[in-house]
Amino acid sequence: MGTISLEKRDSLFWLGRYTERVYTTLKAFYDYYDQMIDRQADLYKKLCERLDIPNIYESDADFIHRFLFDKNDPNSIFTSLNRSYDNGIMLRDEITSDSLAYIQISLDIYAASSHSDVPTMALLPVQDYLLAFWASIDDNVLDQRCRSIIKCGRYLERLDLFLRLGFPTPDIERALCKMTPRLRQSGIAYDEEVLDSLYARVRESMLHTPGWRHECARSLMTLITE
Amino acid sequence: MKDIIAHGDNINVLLARYGVKFGIYKNGTFHEQLFPFDPIPRVIPAEDFDYLERGLRQRVDALNQFLADIYSQKRIIADGVIPEDFVFSSSGYLPECEGIMPPAGIFSHISGIDLVQAKDGTWYVLEDNLRIPSGASYPLIARELSRKASPRAFREHAVRDNRNYADMLRETMDNVNLGGINVILTPGRYNAAFFEHSYLAEKTNSVLAMPNDLFVQDCKLYYRDDHGSKQRVGAVYRRQSDEFLDPCTFRSDSLIGVPNLMAAYRAGNVAIINAPGNGVADDKGIYYFVPKMIRYYLGEEPILHNAPTYLPMYPEDKQIVLENLERLVVKDVAEAGGYGVVFGNKMTGQELADWRALIEREPRRFIAQEVIDFRDLDIIDEGKQVPRKADLRAFVLSGAETRVWASGLTRFSRNPDSFIVNSSQGGGFKDTWVLSR
Repeated sequence: MGTISLEKRDSLFWLGRYTERVYTTLKAFYDYYDQMIDRQADLYKKLCERLDIPNIYESDADFIHRFLFDKNDPNSIFTSLNRSYDNGIMLRDEITSDSLAYIQISLDIYAASSHSDVPTMALLPVQDYLLAFWASIDDNVLDQRCRSIIKCGRYLERLDLFLRLGFPTPDIERALCKMTPRLRQSGIAYDEEVLDSLYARVRESMLHTPGWRHECARSLMTLITE
Repeated sequence: MKDIIAHGDNINVLLARYGVKFGIYKNGTFHEQLFPFDPIPRVIPAEDFDYLERGLRQRVDALNQFLADIYSQKRIIADGVIPEDFVFSSSGYLPECEGIMPPAGIFSHISGIDLVQAKDGTWYVLEDNLRIPSGASYPLIARELSRKASPRAFREHAVRDNRNYADMLRETMDNVNLGGINVILTPGRYNAAFFEHSYLAEKTNSVLAMPNDLFVQDCKLYYRDDHGSKQRVGAVYRRQSDEFLDPCTFRSDSLIGVPNLMAAYRAGNVAIINAPGNGVADDKGIYYFVPKMIRYYLGEEPILHNAPTYLPMYPEDKQIVLENLERLVVKDVAEAGGYGVVFGNKMTGQELADWRALIEREPRRFIAQEVIDFRDLDIIDEGKQVPRKADLRAFVLSGAETRVWASGLTRFSRNPDSFIVNSSQGGGFKDTWVLSR
């Protein structure tokens, strides 16, 4: 490939972000859903709060259906998967038809799952195919910078979600460490001081500094400078 | 053949997996649809293909010479072979292209020639498409997937491999490249053929460019990268219509064009594939004159037949059309994609009268053709094998030499009563097998 336009770079970055958003949010959803079964039906409110999305849902059942499948809800997982597809379809020549096919399959399964009696089961293959997508990116995308841009988006999104969802500190540090070399290789302009402060805060967290997750999530929003 | 039919559903699953779709606008909204694939291939015996190959090469060579002539010396007009006003009143004739000789003298690099086979086995050319003929990507990917789904079918038949299309296209682009990268210029994701644009970019290792990615500086075309640096473009395979190509030359309201692209082209600094202005040669009216072009430029008798065609602008032809309208098919020369086509045998008495009046008023706007009762091909419809009308779009690539792709897009009508095979009107497609022996 070698040369990419600004639009394609944005598409690569956001393809990475949205694909990771679907994957990690689904995992988080399963976790909350499990707890909602027999303990706290309104636990979804906490998930909305953590994800910083408005609680527009009338009940736990409404949340389960709309958060998963409502394509008119900008915060639903289905919407994120559609955004992933929207970005991916612009990039067939960069990411290859084989890689794009995994997004297409995920989208088709996802759409079909909305009619399932047990959507949580029906959606499990989506995660499998998203993992296959990432393997395909590793296998088929030969251009290192192209891979770095999409993975920069992936790990930045992961870091953001891990911070918001209260993942353990080692997971957060690992996501930060995975993102950093990709960011440096991506050619995307970023603020080195913000990156340094992220590292410092993550390490401070180990000393149980109050509010560090919130601070990190805020810093992350200013990391990319263009 | 039974094997590939049995795997038809699997092939369609694979086509869905790879997003083999086309876009369509309904009520102003864009929809993506899968292009229905029928597993029973059209089979062209080796000797038939040899004949088609000779005829298609001859036809496209003559059409290329016609274009070179029309935009320069106009000998064919001076010699009275084609009436002057017929050429210059064509909406496809672009005065802005006068005097421009494209690299290697090639105007139509990728030609899509639509043919049908009559029940007696005779092949007829229905249409020449020399602007931006689409469709090669569908049989290309369908073959790849069919071989996965039904390897036995290919082991048992001597089918010529069609997966060289991307190499042929790449060579065609390289042949006229004037220094720099090859790009495929797409109007964007919401174009009906976006799948094809992106797939061909992937397979030819070209850069898929949006209009905003390209700019002209000092009469040279460049691709702008994400850091604002520029890379010279030597050949642009544009997948958008002439009128939107350059707002400084054609439609000034075009938002999907590249300003001053025509200046770079005119200066001989970039090849445009296919050349702007080709519409004058694939006008449905000019079609009538293609056999004459072949005799004029090549001194040969046409190998392929035109469908019997009448031009109402000629009084004697108009008389025939008006008297026989109920058995003819009338085509609006300005329309494409199966639109503007009406069959006399489907009209009521009042409609026939209205059409006769319209043809009287605007004779240049229409051609009329005898309806060729073309050979049906079987398709699988709800588990049953049923006959349907089908055509063949053959792809001819003009580079260092003129080559015919040993395949093509076979489109069929899903409606048993229809001759219209276009995807935009619900048609499907088949693979086209050319046998090697």
